[in-house]
Amino acid sequence: GFPDQQNPAYNGTGLKPTPYNLVTSYNNFYEFGLNKDDPKDNANRGWNTDAWTLELAGLVRSPQKIDVNALVRQLGLEQRVYRHRCVEAWSMVVPWDGFPLAKLIALADPLPTAKYVKFTTFYDPSAAVGQRSNSLDWPYVEGLRLDEAMHPLAFIATGIYGKPLPNQNGAPLRLVVPWKYGFKGIKSIVKIELTKREPRNTWNVMAPSEYGFYANVNPTVDHPRWSQASERIIGGGIFSGRQPTLMFNGYEKEVAPLYKDLNLRVNF
Amino acid sequence: MTAFARLLRSKTFVWIVLILPGLWPAWPLFVRQDSSALADPLKFILHHLGFVACLLLVTVLTFSPLRVLFPRSPVVQALNRHRRLVGVSAFVYAALHFTTHLLYEGGAHPANLPGIFRNVLDKPFQLTGLIALTILLLLAVTSLHAAVRWLGGRRWKNLHRLAYVAAALIAYHQAAARKIFPVQVLWIFIPLVVLELLRLWKTHRPRPAPAAARP
Repeated sequence: GFPDQQNPAYNGTGLKPTPYNLVTSYNNFYEFGLNKDDPKDNANRGWNTDAWTLELAGLVRSPQKIDVNALVRQLGLEQRVYRHRCVEAWSMVVPWDGFPLAKLIALADPLPTAKYVKFTTFYDPSAAVGQRSNSLDWPYVEGLRLDEAMHPLAFIATGIYGKPLPNQNGAPLRLVVPWKYGFKGIKSIVKIELTKREPRNTWNVMAPSEYGFYANVNPTVDHPRWSQASERIIGGGIFSGRQPTLMFNGYEKEVAPLYKDLNLRVNF
Repeated sequence: MTAFARLLRSKTFVWIVLILPGLWPAWPLFVRQDSSALADPLKFILHHLGFVACLLLVTVLTFSPLRVLFPRSPVVQALNRHRRLVGVSAFVYAALHFTTHLLYEGGAHPANLPGIFRNVLDKPFQLTGLIALTILLLLAVTSLHAAVRWLGGRRWKNLHRLAYVAAALIAYHQAAARKIFPVQVLWIFIPLVVLELLRLWKTHRPRPAPAAARP
């Protein structure tokens, strides 16, 4: 797969990529601890992500279990530079290597009754120290509406900066939905399931008044405890650090039509 | 008196202990150069200052119950000499924390201040912090001996009971500061609550009945 080609549609013109060492050492991956530097420490103590099976299931014509390495060889890789906006009001710019989610869903061949896509992460408390406590309901679950999942921007990443994903970034496969808050980007996916009903994503279960299903980046809808109107730039240093948050994280032109009839304040 | 109790009586020693936490961030930022701290240095400093302010507030509140429970301990007596110093330092760290918040949210641009204050006022998480800071300011300003004389002992004592209100607000503020409830809040506040309950029990427990009147 590596080295791969950059997709010219997402070459990140005008964006300044966040240094590799920060992208790979400032992570929210509560399976491996609650501090930003815990995942890098705890996800590399012998946790093996080289041999990995992904299950495609649910309302599909071709349910299957695929070896991830074979999957990557089959679908090929491209690089896309995306903005990444955490719900905690910080942001990065990351060059992801991977393939469009739409290609993966096409492999499963959804039935007409499928309306949503549900993603599940691994569950292994022996490897993931954070899963031994119930800070969140494990395993981590996320979801998208089928049309969101089939949108050209929705991406499955298996690498960054032309190198395989480090464990702390969600190896070997993670979701990247750049117009939504980062917690939608579920890491280390083991199962993708097509469903009829909207899945209850983990953060929404944890704090329904703070984290919704849609989680579209929206500077006009605050988090109950902090404003979403601006964001800190990771790696921006002490003084240069803050910039206004853009509607849909700067992808308004591409994704706004998906939500033209949706009240974004109610469906946060 | 042990050497430790003698050391604790020294104002210089206590000043050093109080200033060191303010200097500590230089270690992860400049010496160890932790990427998790360097990723967003101002956020790192913000959380650190808030944590120190909270610790100092809870610490100073333990001095009185410790004195009630262990009146003859030289260490406890030494600590109680520094109530004003430690209390005011809690305010100073809280003020630095709030100043960092203003920088963190708005940079050094005064034009951003109204927006920042609007956010503070309409979000309980942030508002509790500001109210607690205001209480600590009031207590710091009235901590001078002149203020005790001006207010009178009883009014001063009642005013300074607001420190408990500040502590309760800060317990909430600290608990609300992360996406997931931080267990450290329990480690910090439960000991204080236990000490206060023990103090209340000792002060108000039933005294032995006086000898029965002779017929």
